[in-house]
Amino acid sequence: MFKTFFFSELKYTLKQPMVYIFLGVFSLLVFFAIVSDNVRIGESVGNVYKNAPHVITIYISIMTIFGLLVATAFFNNAALRDFNNNFNEIIFSTPLSKFGYFFGKFFGALLLATIPLLGVYLGVLVGTAMAPAFGWIDAERFGSFYLETFVNNYLIFVLPNMFLVGAIIYAIANKWRSTVISFAGTLIIIVAYIISGTLMSDVDNETLAALTDIFGSRTYSIHTQYYTPIEKNTISPTFEGLILWNRLIWVFVGLAILLLSYFSFSFQEKNKKIKEDKKDLQGVNKAFALPELDFQYDKKTNWLQFKSFFYVNFLSIVKSVTFKILFIFSAIILISNLIGGFEYFGLQSYPLTYKIIDLINNASGIFVVIILVFFSGELIWRDRDYKINEVIDATPHQSLISLSAKALSLVGVTTILHVFFVFCGIIYQLLNGYTRLELDVYFLDFIYSNLILYIVWSGVMIMFQVVLNNKYIGYFVSIAVIFIWEIVLAILDIQSNMVEIGAGPSLQYSDMNGFGPGLKSATWFNLYWVLFSIICLLIAGALWNRGVLGSLKEKIIIAKREVSRGYKLLIIVFTVAWIAVAGVVYYNTQVLNTYRTSDEQEVFASNFEKKYKQYENVKLPKVTDAKYFIDIFPEDRNVFVNSKIQLTNENNTIIDSLHFVISETWEQDIKIPNSKLVLKDEEFGYLIYKLKNPLQPAASIEIEVDAKFITEGFTNGRGSTNVIKNGTFLNNFDILPSLGYNSSLELSDKNTRRKYGLKPKDRMPELEADCSDKCMANYLSDGLSDYINVETVVSTSEDQIAIAPGSLKKQWKENRRNYYLYKSDHPSLNFYSFISAKYEIAKRKWNGIDIEVYYDEKHSKNIEMMLDAVERSLKYYTENFGPYYHKQCRIIEFPRYATFAQAFPGTMPYSEGFGFITNLEDEDGNNVIDAVIAHEMAHQWWAHQVIGANMQGGTLMSESFSEYSALMTMKEISKTPMKMREFLKYDHDRYLRGRSAEVDNELPLYKVENQGHIHYGKGSVILYALQDYIGEDKVNTAMRDFLDEYKYMKPPYPTSLDFLRHLEPQVPDSLNYLIKDWFKEITLYDNRLKEARYKKLDNGKYEVTMDLESYKVKADSIGNETKVAINDWIDIGLFSDTNEEKLFFEKRVKINKPNMTFTIEVDSLPRKAAIDPRHLLIDRVYEDNIKTVSSE
Amino acid sequence: MNKLTITNLSKTYPNGVKALDNVSIEIENGIFGLLGPNGAGKSSLMRTLATLQEADSGSITLGEIDVINQPAELRKVLGYLPQEFGVYPRITAKQLLDHMAILKGIVKKSQRKELVNYLLDKVNLYDKRNKSVKSFSGGMKQRVGIAQALIGAPRLIIVDEPTAGLDPSERNRFYNLLADVGKDVIVILSTHIVDDVRELCTKMAIMNLGQIVYQGSPQKAIEELNGRVYRKLVERDELKTYQSTYDIISNKMSGGKPLIHVLSESHPENGFELVTPNLEDVFFSRINTSNVLV
Repeated sequence: MFKTFFFSELKYTLKQPMVYIFLGVFSLLVFFAIVSDNVRIGESVGNVYKNAPHVITIYISIMTIFGLLVATAFFNNAALRDFNNNFNEIIFSTPLSKFGYFFGKFFGALLLATIPLLGVYLGVLVGTAMAPAFGWIDAERFGSFYLETFVNNYLIFVLPNMFLVGAIIYAIANKWRSTVISFAGTLIIIVAYIISGTLMSDVDNETLAALTDIFGSRTYSIHTQYYTPIEKNTISPTFEGLILWNRLIWVFVGLAILLLSYFSFSFQEKNKKIKEDKKDLQGVNKAFALPELDFQYDKKTNWLQFKSFFYVNFLSIVKSVTFKILFIFSAIILISNLIGGFEYFGLQSYPLTYKIIDLINNASGIFVVIILVFFSGELIWRDRDYKINEVIDATPHQSLISLSAKALSLVGVTTILHVFFVFCGIIYQLLNGYTRLELDVYFLDFIYSNLILYIVWSGVMIMFQVVLNNKYIGYFVSIAVIFIWEIVLAILDIQSNMVEIGAGPSLQYSDMNGFGPGLKSATWFNLYWVLFSIICLLIAGALWNRGVLGSLKEKIIIAKREVSRGYKLLIIVFTVAWIAVAGVVYYNTQVLNTYRTSDEQEVFASNFEKKYKQYENVKLPKVTDAKYFIDIFPEDRNVFVNSKIQLTNENNTIIDSLHFVISETWEQDIKIPNSKLVLKDEEFGYLIYKLKNPLQPAASIEIEVDAKFITEGFTNGRGSTNVIKNGTFLNNFDILPSLGYNSSLELSDKNTRRKYGLKPKDRMPELEADCSDKCMANYLSDGLSDYINVETVVSTSEDQIAIAPGSLKKQWKENRRNYYLYKSDHPSLNFYSFISAKYEIAKRKWNGIDIEVYYDEKHSKNIEMMLDAVERSLKYYTENFGPYYHKQCRIIEFPRYATFAQAFPGTMPYSEGFGFITNLEDEDGNNVIDAVIAHEMAHQWWAHQVIGANMQGGTLMSESFSEYSALMTMKEISKTPMKMREFLKYDHDRYLRGRSAEVDNELPLYKVENQGHIHYGKGSVILYALQDYIGEDKVNTAMRDFLDEYKYMKPPYPTSLDFLRHLEPQVPDSLNYLIKDWFKEITLYDNRLKEARYKKLDNGKYEVTMDLESYKVKADSIGNETKVAINDWIDIGLFSDTNEEKLFFEKRVKINKPNMTFTIEVDSLPRKAAIDPRHLLIDRVYEDNIKTVSSE
Repeated sequence: MNKLTITNLSKTYPNGVKALDNVSIEIENGIFGLLGPNGAGKSSLMRTLATLQEADSGSITLGEIDVINQPAELRKVLGYLPQEFGVYPRITAKQLLDHMAILKGIVKKSQRKELVNYLLDKVNLYDKRNKSVKSFSGGMKQRVGIAQALIGAPRLIIVDEPTAGLDPSERNRFYNLLADVGKDVIVILSTHIVDDVRELCTKMAIMNLGQIVYQGSPQKAIEELNGRVYRKLVERDELKTYQSTYDIISNKMSGGKPLIHVLSESHPENGFELVTPNLEDVFFSRINTSNVLV
């Protein structure tokens, strides 16, 4: 019996197109991801093969979520088909086994539900075979085929996931026998999935997140988060660790649901609710007379009909179960996100309106799409579905009236959803005591970013439904246009927003700069798409034939005959208007403001390199002095610059020509006395000037550059976020042409380079001892300048303040504009910013230094804390490293288009997106905002006073040192050492995550090549541990000595070896191995506490015994790891609480065997024991270092 | 005086079925019965009249209105109850009728209200006016359908199989209503139930295989058969023999035995007896021209 139903289920479904459609869809999606670099699902970057087991597993886990829809359909059909065909009474009256029927159908559907996901394998196999053969992707990017990847993925992810989902859907379908409720079940699963995802955003909840993930995909990503490229390329998922537990848990849940459903399943028909009809009440009938009727068919009637249609349609959506479910779930997501707040490294942002808006848009996005797609089909076809169409169609209303009412009710429903969300957001703001509500921002964001999109999609989808004449094809095309069209455009390398329905530049609200530079463009694109949508609706109205459905051809014939002249005129008017707007948009985005698509940009960069790389080593003079005259016009978004640059030949050979590459966004005009322009390449902006009087060694020449940035019209994208109405932020590299060949324009990704026949980019020059030639350039200015003086006259509009490097020498007003003269106090790196905005200024004087914070008037909350942080940094650094050479120290807020802070000489531009809006009211002492300030302040020493040569290891002395310095200022005010462990965890994670996504070979710290995870993450961890091992003053002395030797010195610049030379004398012999292990090699620790027991002694003390396991692991450059003998000092410690906050015992012990046992006697009761309790060492799995102490 | 003229109307479906085959009828005020077996093309004709379906050729006029080219004009004077009448879920009878009244161009709210009440009362649903229509029984739904067809002042009312699902008393009520309104307008009643036509219609047409096989008054049709219809109770196994010898127009069971009616110009003897023909005989004699047992 089981077999009969099992096979009949298979047979039935395999005859239907659905299973093949989805198999095809999955195959294609993955195929495109494999054969194109433009399509990215999951991650395949750098050294990870495009078909690596890890990548395939990611594909599988992502596609599982899409597979959910398929599963719903199959299981729901399996459960309901007999009922829907009213076959149940026939089938169930025959003697059949419940077991066979129930499970036969279930397992049939289960097998079917897994078939579409096999498309992933198909896509991988075909893609892997075809891509290299056709030359789409280089063969080197594909690795070996592992059968176990396919088999294991099927068994670990596909089958259990479909089993679980299937059990739920099957149970729901059998219980309620309603397709709508089954799909609601699917939604619940999606929501559960998303909620478990929000848990994961908090690092500490990883285990919980791994276990609650119903599909196990996050479990997998947590399991593999520290994988190296080699591991990603070779290891297939297996049943182990959290994955095993997760799978067991969820399969059991599925099994329980299935059994429950089985035992409550009955062949009896569900009791139909029979409402008793009340007897018609007789006798109360009033006499009703047929009234006189006035008929009217004019605009008023149209309006009335429109209202009535709107009301009926709107009501039908709002009252529908599907909508209610969607509404509730999106609300749940929003609310759970709101409760989660705005976390940033353990801190919360204030609930700013724009933050709430971001959350709303995230929470509603997918639901709005579902509502628009689903209900567009529902509304168009509901008259037919409910068999009332003929009656409605035979009434004298215009089709357009009915269709536009449908469109408007879609818009209305989504609007209600949005308004409700805004309401939730406002309540949340008020509950948090936040009262700057900005209703105008809510409203405008709704108009700009949401309402328009709702209108566009409503019109377009209604047209799809009408033209395609079939609800399901309509759904398919709608979804295809939303999701797949974008992929097609990416493959075709088309980036114009004019062809992607509803597209336009993204708007990002900033407290400083409002809706920002993209607003003008977005408004035009909105107009363009709304007109398009109206035309779609008009076409739909013309083609909407009533009564019996005709083919598209018939519809067109009928439309030709019946559409009135007025209607045709309407179509023509809107089409003309649309074409006119399209013309304006096209002119502005494609003619006036051109852009390169990503493919074009690649070709450009590779051609530039091929043509001009020959000049890379041309001898060039250095910038030795600079004067700028800058006029910023914020309202017009224009900037005019005149600069006088002194160039000096510091080579020992004569220079007879000067090379420049001019900017594409700035117009730059170079004036060089006594010179001749001998090469002017318009395409690449490459210029060569021949000097009539060649520049002798040590001789100087002054050149003049006129540069201007002019904003004209609007762009396809958001446009420049540097030159804006409030918060213009420029640096000298933006303004001036680059001197000589500019290698930063080269393609960097090695795979892209290979595509254009370019060798992988030269790595940084190798670290060299006692270098001379190669140390003449630092890694920042690349030999084109050293320490120089700068003078700037900068002007801006009356209501803004402009800031340039150095001390403000003079300030005046002229032509209703503000003028400022700034002069540097000390020669500094040729790297500085010019900023203009409406600012408030907070000032504080510390030891003759002006500490200033320039901030937006809305962001006054944290200013005092920022001043404190600067002061604290200045204090620690001047005491430990040496004097500060500027007279001022500025923090300058800039709009949140970027989220970073950056150190320029004496100034620190700091994004409004963090720091200024973070809630620090309850923070005691150190926090990440302090840390960022302390880090950037440290750069005033580490980078601006001493900077590494342009070779491996260079960033150790700037980034690692700064991060270390910041940690030390934090350590100073930390109340407990455990607080520092929280901070260090971010650095540990940064390093371990970074190394597992390593694009090039990993290098030891002293050879770091500007890789963030090494110089920030590992560098700070190592230096922090080092000061713990050898003493803070020893490390600081080494750094100070190093600084003193090279401070503001002319080249040659120092290398990491120069620092190690200063460090070595500070390290005692017993710990000498640390320099080798930590700086010169890649060393990881694999420590764990196997067991910890205590015994109460007779003297009232406690004897604690700890069994440790400890390995030292050395990694080579491509991630191969080998265990080496351990002979290291490592801490062991005891906590008196379970939260690991009170470390009451700590001792550094020598570990010289992999397994060791230590016995300690302590005064009080230990709760937890740990090896390396303060997490100083780099350990891939730190959690196993700590265990609860059990009694013996 | 209203006059609906259908001239040479033809429609062939893509699958080759001829739904309407050169149909021509003239209809004046009063209830016009359109009789035909299932699949005769009645519904196609009704839909075409109701502007819901295209014809391949032919013309339809209602008074001055060219139905095919001015569908909007016809819709203003049309009341239509299709064969399958469904309703929106989650909407009350009153809301539905009000919506329909607006669609039919009654803009004054007070008038609509009165009209809706009047109609609900007429179809005996006034007490249930605030109930969701979806919860109604088939008969009640059908009554809502009738009510909506009467909204406004239709000059042409088309009702397609209206009595399906109605119990006898509801049916009577409906007929009275129809007879009421049918005095001054054209009512086309499409049905396969002969009794409906006999009771209500002054004029009728019989349709079969897309063609009009008879058109005129029921009475006249019956008169034409006068003295030509004979009946006999036969044994089941004799049917075949009778079929080859006689022009059987119908056979139905009576007391477990087939009672056959035959059409004959002279008395067939052999135990047959002359009967007064009824409309059913007309119906079967018209549609059963190929002399197959039905």
